[in-house]
Amino acid sequence: MTNPSPVAATAPSPLDDLLARERTQPLERTSTLGDPIVLENLGKTYPDGTEAVRGISLRVAAGESFGILGPNGAGKSTTIGMLGTLVKPTAGRASVAGFDVVGRPTEVRRRIGFAMQQAGVDEFATPWELVVLQGRLHGLPKHEASARAGLLLGIMELADEADRRLATLSGGTKRRVDLAASLVHLPPVLFLDEPTEGLDPRSRSGIWDLLDRLRSRLGVTLVLTTHYMEEGDRLCERIAIIDRGTVVAEGAPAALKATVGRDATLEDVYLHYTGRAFEDTRMAA
Amino acid sequence: MNAPAQALLLAQRALVQFPRNPILLGFSVMPVLIMYLVFGGLFEGVAELPGFPTDNYFEYLAPTAVLLATVPGIGNAGVALAADLQNGYFHKLLTTPTSVGVVMLGRLLGDCVRLAVQAALVLLLAIALGAEVATGVPGALLMIVMGTLLGIVTFGAISANLAIRTRDAAAVQAIQPMAFLLIFLTSAYQSSDHIDSGVLRTIIDLNPAEHVLRPMRELMLSGYDWGDIGIGFLVIAALGVVALPITARNYRSAYS
Repeated sequence: MTNPSPVAATAPSPLDDLLARERTQPLERTSTLGDPIVLENLGKTYPDGTEAVRGISLRVAAGESFGILGPNGAGKSTTIGMLGTLVKPTAGRASVAGFDVVGRPTEVRRRIGFAMQQAGVDEFATPWELVVLQGRLHGLPKHEASARAGLLLGIMELADEADRRLATLSGGTKRRVDLAASLVHLPPVLFLDEPTEGLDPRSRSGIWDLLDRLRSRLGVTLVLTTHYMEEGDRLCERIAIIDRGTVVAEGAPAALKATVGRDATLEDVYLHYTGRAFEDTRMAA
Repeated sequence: MNAPAQALLLAQRALVQFPRNPILLGFSVMPVLIMYLVFGGLFEGVAELPGFPTDNYFEYLAPTAVLLATVPGIGNAGVALAADLQNGYFHKLLTTPTSVGVVMLGRLLGDCVRLAVQAALVLLLAIALGAEVATGVPGALLMIVMGTLLGIVTFGAISANLAIRTRDAAAVQAIQPMAFLLIFLTSAYQSSDHIDSGVLRTIIDLNPAEHVLRPMRELMLSGYDWGDIGIGFLVIAALGVVALPITARNYRSAYS
């Protein structure tokens, strides 16, 4: 007798609302028509002499989902840190959204969202306050930042926790809040450093689904680092396998696997290109 | 959004954050008020010494209490900075179109307001105990400004540098008692003229805090001595010229 209401069936989701808001406050997507992320012989040697990244060259196309895979200590976080302007390169150059990461860091930051490996949250704030502040620092008016915070926390299924202190929330919840804060200005480029590290399989799968939806709906260029090969396989159109600060293999996951064997996994690809089993390097790290 | 507006937002965040930590809130104000009452009561007789600048010891002690509120009190800013560095929030802020300078300035502004309120509470207690500020409200405000600025360029800089280097809130907290030394080695409790030890008098004269405390006390007890006030601000400026670039350089070397 009561058929589902067509209105209800097509009612806009929080994500639709968010996208509608983006259209009211559009952000300049990129300053050039070229690839939004370009690395040319990028290197980083820390003051103690540690050579974390040794001359990496990569390009990521607009709207692409790109993974940097490798064991702990391979140089993934340093690489993404340089792209996010948090770590200063000591060699080569990189540009994000058309801007040099060293010469124009502020312009880069306007166009990126960055969820770090360690969820960076203010323990005394609430999720809502944290997301609003992040939006305000990106130049959103107060009402707009508030509206987007509400929508993003809804999308992240955090509406019930929105007014609780972050200190009382679990690590997985803090990660989702951090992700919401990274998205509040709807950036064209999103960097995620080990986005599901330490999460249980269910939460991990939830984050993957969310990232899929965000990417397909927002057209975000996504760069993530992970030491979970399965994550790279699931989320990325192209990956670079990084070992001891250099790229040892790059391409679509399926293509890379095909170079190794019929039923090869990305672990097999890693073994093939480095001569070491991925698990061994994880343990050593 | 321009840098000043960003700094104000971050200052607001620092101010909202502070009362949410009841332990920090309580322990940053209560010890000063208790010390003021205890030392004031214990040494009340000092005011009867011939030549002592006032017959109300609480009046003499009030500028000291202002410094006790501001100098060790700024250490909490270092503790909060260490916590932000430790949990990654500092760097999260740096993923927005802002700068290290603005993030630090925002924290500093918020803490200045907090310290000023704490110092005002101390002065209100002094007034409740019968003390009078000879220069009235403007003099009281000048006292608070001087005390707050001294806190920033001395212990504020030390605790910020320690926070940057260690990212350890406990380490920053551990050095907080050192701030009391800076104040105790002044004419905080006894006028220099009544201190017999020549060595101690020399140490007091060499202590930069003494050159800020002295004009503050004059504002409390007698009036505006612009020469001494100028020296006080010069000392603060000199300390700032040394401390602030060291802090900036320390940050750059630690995180570049």
